[in-house]
Amino acid sequence: MKLYVYCLAEKLGGLPSIHAAPVLGISGAQVDLLKVEDFALLVSEFDGDSAPSVTRDNALAHAAVVASVLNETTPLPFRFGTVVAEDQLRSYVTARREALKAKLDQVRGCVEMSVKIISGSDQADVPQLNEMDEQGPGARFLNEKRRQILGSERRSEEAKQVAAWLKEQVGTYVQQEEVSLSQTEKLMVAAAHLVAREQVAKYRDQLTMARKMRPELHFLVSGPWPPYTFSNIELEFKTRFGVS
Amino acid sequence: MSSPFDQMLIESDVEQLEQADLSLLETLDHVLNRGLVIAGEITISVADIDLIFVGLNILVSSVETANEVVRNRK
Amino acid sequence: MELSPNKPPTAEPEIDTSHVEEFVEQLSCVTNSLPPRINIDAQSVEEGLAKLVLTLIEFIRRLLEKQAVRRMEGGDLSPEQIEELGLALMKLEAKLQELKEQFGLADEDLNLDLGPVGRLI
Repeated sequence: MKLYVYCLAEKLGGLPSIHAAPVLGISGAQVDLLKVEDFALLVSEFDGDSAPSVTRDNALAHAAVVASVLNETTPLPFRFGTVVAEDQLRSYVTARREALKAKLDQVRGCVEMSVKIISGSDQADVPQLNEMDEQGPGARFLNEKRRQILGSERRSEEAKQVAAWLKEQVGTYVQQEEVSLSQTEKLMVAAAHLVAREQVAKYRDQLTMARKMRPELHFLVSGPWPPYTFSNIELEFKTRFGVS
Repeated sequence: MSSPFDQMLIESDVEQLEQADLSLLETLDHVLNRGLVIAGEITISVADIDLIFVGLNILVSSVETANEVVRNRK
Repeated sequence: MELSPNKPPTAEPEIDTSHVEEFVEQLSCVTNSLPPRINIDAQSVEEGLAKLVLTLIEFIRRLLEKQAVRRMEGGDLSPEQIEELGLALMKLEAKLQELKEQFGLADEDLNLDLGPVGRLI
């Protein structure tokens, strides 16, 4: 029997419910509690050969199941779409027991907050290098690339500065962070912060103040989330090829 | 005949839809690419660019097959 | 959302922003361009390989473009050299576009973020 796995936690008193109604999982499936070693996992029986489809309902259901235990404990969420045979799951948990325990130690008592920052103002245009009319197609092509590349370098610089500023502002409340820069032209910073539960209010207040300091930036703050960003354990097989 | 209130309703519907979209996008941002991943994947980074190979369980045999495919094409 | 044993959990976390539309737009782009997953199951090895090869070529192509712009900025290229270089890169870009079309791959399938490498060159 295959199982769809939502999350792993230290211990769970019972199946989670919202307003006394049981939380349903992907495709409306029933959510079960599975005990492996000294962990508790939330799973659903999964019928079918391929991975569950990424639909609005399924994504929200996955998130809801994981979030539903947040009041009781901080779980390690699984990524959407994890389907395994029960014995595979058990052997994974047994084999990675120490690493999972270590992760749970790291996230215990915390939640994940998310801050995304978009640059509000339009960037000034990078000036052209030469007179455009006198150039052949090759030179024009290269000049256009130059314009694009310099523009994106400038954006990168700005993004780094904004990320450093953000860290200054809320750093005291953040235990761990993962920051992505310039994911799109406008999306400068996307930060995931691991924050102790009792500090979330202060973290939020600090952000509110900080936002006012930078009216030219547009902010999105979301949370609290279960610690998706801080859950994954390193696989043994990870190769890096450097370029120097 | 439409009243100013109809316009307000439409706008707030759009707003609600967008809020719901945003909520979904934020959720996807978390559940799709983060979280625990059971062995079955290796990430090969070339100059910090991640290429993620899924199907690790059959990695070895797939590489063999890949070589065969390439050889047969020539 | 308050976190306490007494209050029931809400289904979705709070989202706080004054720019819903903008973020919807930007986050849609991000969601559409997650790192390429190359499936090496027996059935789709060829497709996976094509994606891998084209991704790497695309990566190199962008490096070459950056390098060319660097040299142009550095002022050590004559106008004729700039023109030649530009034409060569133009053709390379067009050729790669052809290959992508042949394999039915869209730009998003080969998502690349030069990231730290951009700073190395």
